[in-house]
Amino acid sequence: MVLELKKPRPIWEIIFSTHHTDIGLLYIIASMVALFAGGGLAMAIRAELFLPGLQVFSGQADFSRFFTVHGTTLLFLWLLPFASGVGNYLIPIMVRYKDMAWPKLNAVAFWIIPPCMFLVWGGFSDTTWNAYPPYSILKAPGPAADMWIVGLKLLGISSVLGAINFVVTILKMKHPDLPLMKMSLFSWAVLATSLMIIVAIPTFAASLIMLYTDRLGVTGFFNPEMGGDPIAYQHLFWFTFHPEVYIFVLPAIGMMYEIIPTFSRKPLFSYYSGVVALIVISIIGFGSWAHHMFAVGMSFTEKTVFMVGTLAAVPSSAMHVFNFLATMWGGRIKFAAPMLFSVGAILLFFSAGAGGVVNTAMPLDFLTHDSYWVVGHFHLFVMGTISLAFTGFIYYLFPLITGRMYDTRLAKVHFVLTFVGIAVIFGVQHILGLYGLPRRVVDYLPIPELIIMNQIASFGGWAIGASYAIFLYNMIKSAMFGKPANPKDPFELGTGVEYYYDYARRDPHH
Amino acid sequence: MGHSTPEWVFIGAVTAILIWVGAESWNVEHSLEYAPPNSETVRVVGQQWFWSFQHADGTQEINELHIKEGIPYRFEIVSNDVVHSFSIPDFAILMDAVPGRVNTVWNVFDEQGEYLIQCREYCGMLHQDMRARLFVEPNTDNATAVSSESEPTISQGSGTAIIIAPGGGEVGSTGSGTMRVVEPRNLTQAPANDSTAATNATDGNTTSSGNASSTASASGPTLSIPAGAATPGNPAYAPDTLTVTKGDVITVTNDDTAPHTVTNGATPGDADAGQLFDTSIMMPAATAQIDTATVEAGDHPFHCTVHPFMTGTLTVQ
Repeated sequence: MVLELKKPRPIWEIIFSTHHTDIGLLYIIASMVALFAGGGLAMAIRAELFLPGLQVFSGQADFSRFFTVHGTTLLFLWLLPFASGVGNYLIPIMVRYKDMAWPKLNAVAFWIIPPCMFLVWGGFSDTTWNAYPPYSILKAPGPAADMWIVGLKLLGISSVLGAINFVVTILKMKHPDLPLMKMSLFSWAVLATSLMIIVAIPTFAASLIMLYTDRLGVTGFFNPEMGGDPIAYQHLFWFTFHPEVYIFVLPAIGMMYEIIPTFSRKPLFSYYSGVVALIVISIIGFGSWAHHMFAVGMSFTEKTVFMVGTLAAVPSSAMHVFNFLATMWGGRIKFAAPMLFSVGAILLFFSAGAGGVVNTAMPLDFLTHDSYWVVGHFHLFVMGTISLAFTGFIYYLFPLITGRMYDTRLAKVHFVLTFVGIAVIFGVQHILGLYGLPRRVVDYLPIPELIIMNQIASFGGWAIGASYAIFLYNMIKSAMFGKPANPKDPFELGTGVEYYYDYARRDPHH
Repeated sequence: MGHSTPEWVFIGAVTAILIWVGAESWNVEHSLEYAPPNSETVRVVGQQWFWSFQHADGTQEINELHIKEGIPYRFEIVSNDVVHSFSIPDFAILMDAVPGRVNTVWNVFDEQGEYLIQCREYCGMLHQDMRARLFVEPNTDNATAVSSESEPTISQGSGTAIIIAPGGGEVGSTGSGTMRVVEPRNLTQAPANDSTAATNATDGNTTSSGNASSTASASGPTLSIPAGAATPGNPAYAPDTLTVTKGDVITVTNDDTAPHTVTNGATPGDADAGQLFDTSIMMPAATAQIDTATVEAGDHPFHCTVHPFMTGTLTVQ
């Protein structure tokens, strides 16, 4: 088995294992499959938008299916499972327990994900990832939309099971000698994320059932023809999915808290401010959901309340950025791939946050809403911040998982191409939005500015695609033939520094 | 927390910026919130996949909106089916059209010209083509402006306000694209229950069916749009190949619940699309007539501009 340098096991022993590192590995592999599948769809989308008119797709219907599955896959099958995977790998090590609290529940939570993947990809729904009614209940073709609903429903169950397991592991199975306030910030991030999942996901789970019975025609919760209110769905949806943004980003921040002090060879600037910021955001994050809905016809009071709620969430993100920069300040920084990706993620996190402040300023929201500005904005978050930090962490964990070292040269090429690609495509998309290009369109007006900017964006997108092809090659080749890494100090940061995770923890005990 | 001073300074600076952004937004938004009492009201109806506009004086326009410069307008935005979003990017106007709700937004248009109106909320198969044109006209009480604009027009667009009616959008040979407007053209529109007394188009610019009489429509060939035609895969036109003798007047009936057209050309992008015959938009239960006197003999494919997947062929002998 390529993934085990010492004492290789047959592959089914890994697949049917309930050991936390094995489940973690399965999560990470499944999420990376989703990353490449969903990214592949994005390449087709960029090819279509390279020119106005129709190139790749026969019309809006096929295009809608592509961007719906692209979004669903990358949000729910890449970001969430990857964070769970790394959590599985590291949380028991960090809280010094032999495994997760409930290993079998952990395996169940993972094995729910492949059927969801099958449902989402088998259906190829066209509802967009927010599935706003009445379109999704009256017009969206079945069984695609139904499969999408059931798939997301199951994913919600998987997330909640995983989250409960994390909370119990961290709070109850923590080693008695380890006080909460000495726990790593990554554990804090996973704890905050898991608590947010437990609070946020059930709302969407309920609204999915309501959506499904509405589709069947049994009920009319969101169907205006039966006295329902489509806006109610949007509230329920965003009550889950605005906190979900923080659910995605907090594990990434936790990973950056692991990487940045290590490669700066300097202690963290302020542990307390990191903990406080994580706790504050996980509470305030629930008070800003309706800023996605300023244009549905909200009253002035509602808009003001949610603008204030959104602005209030900004300082805690700024605290993280400050903490990262202050940690790096004066450190002997080694720019290995994990550090490069983390620094790139800080820069893009800052830009995305600044764009977010523009979005929530009420009058400006009406300029940017549902335009390409929004596409650029949230891709800066999910790709530029979260996926960059995650990718850096894959490099960081690579020696622990495989016992081998990745190709450092290719990793740097990967970083440069990805970072430039992200800055180009999503920066240009902000400007496209200001030119009034609506999102989710297969075709746009043949105006020279729009054509040129879309072509620049496509080149940026393809650069990201190419860099991730290099990444995939690097991962597969290095997992098979990479040179064995020093388990104590794989990144050669210094003599006598035993900072890295305990390699022996990977040996299954049951 | 020995080193907290720089952090507090930083957080203070960030918070100060946020408070400033919030206060400015509150000020601006507050001044925009309520329409002036003397505003003209225009009702905007979003529907898969076109916009219709109803002025206070009863005039109705489809995919075109003519308004006067310098007057406050208040738009009442509604939707007939799914959620749409009424957006005029050049004036930063954006408001969702939500079924079951009336949303309002207002603006004073201070510059004459032709602007783009688009749908910003994903609404299904032809979302990208759900565009309309806004004409801001000088504020002289010129009543003929509207009717002269509704002639069958093929005009060259340029600059930033090229609009292509449903289905268009290839890079035109001129590089700027051809603009075609879905507008009442050479056909009449009348309610179905009144078809025997069908009156001709009110704007007087009909070119071919001006003499169509009730007897002609009763005896001539008929073309119907069956219920369910708006769903791809269902029969689009009955019959989908219609053979007529030159000079016949075809009576078209829309039996579906969605609006449709019968427009010549295999796709909306065809160079001559809509030039030989075009019913323009027929609301559900409406009828229209096509006079084949001016159509040369041969096969003429036709389609629906609202649902370009609906196609058929007209053979004139």
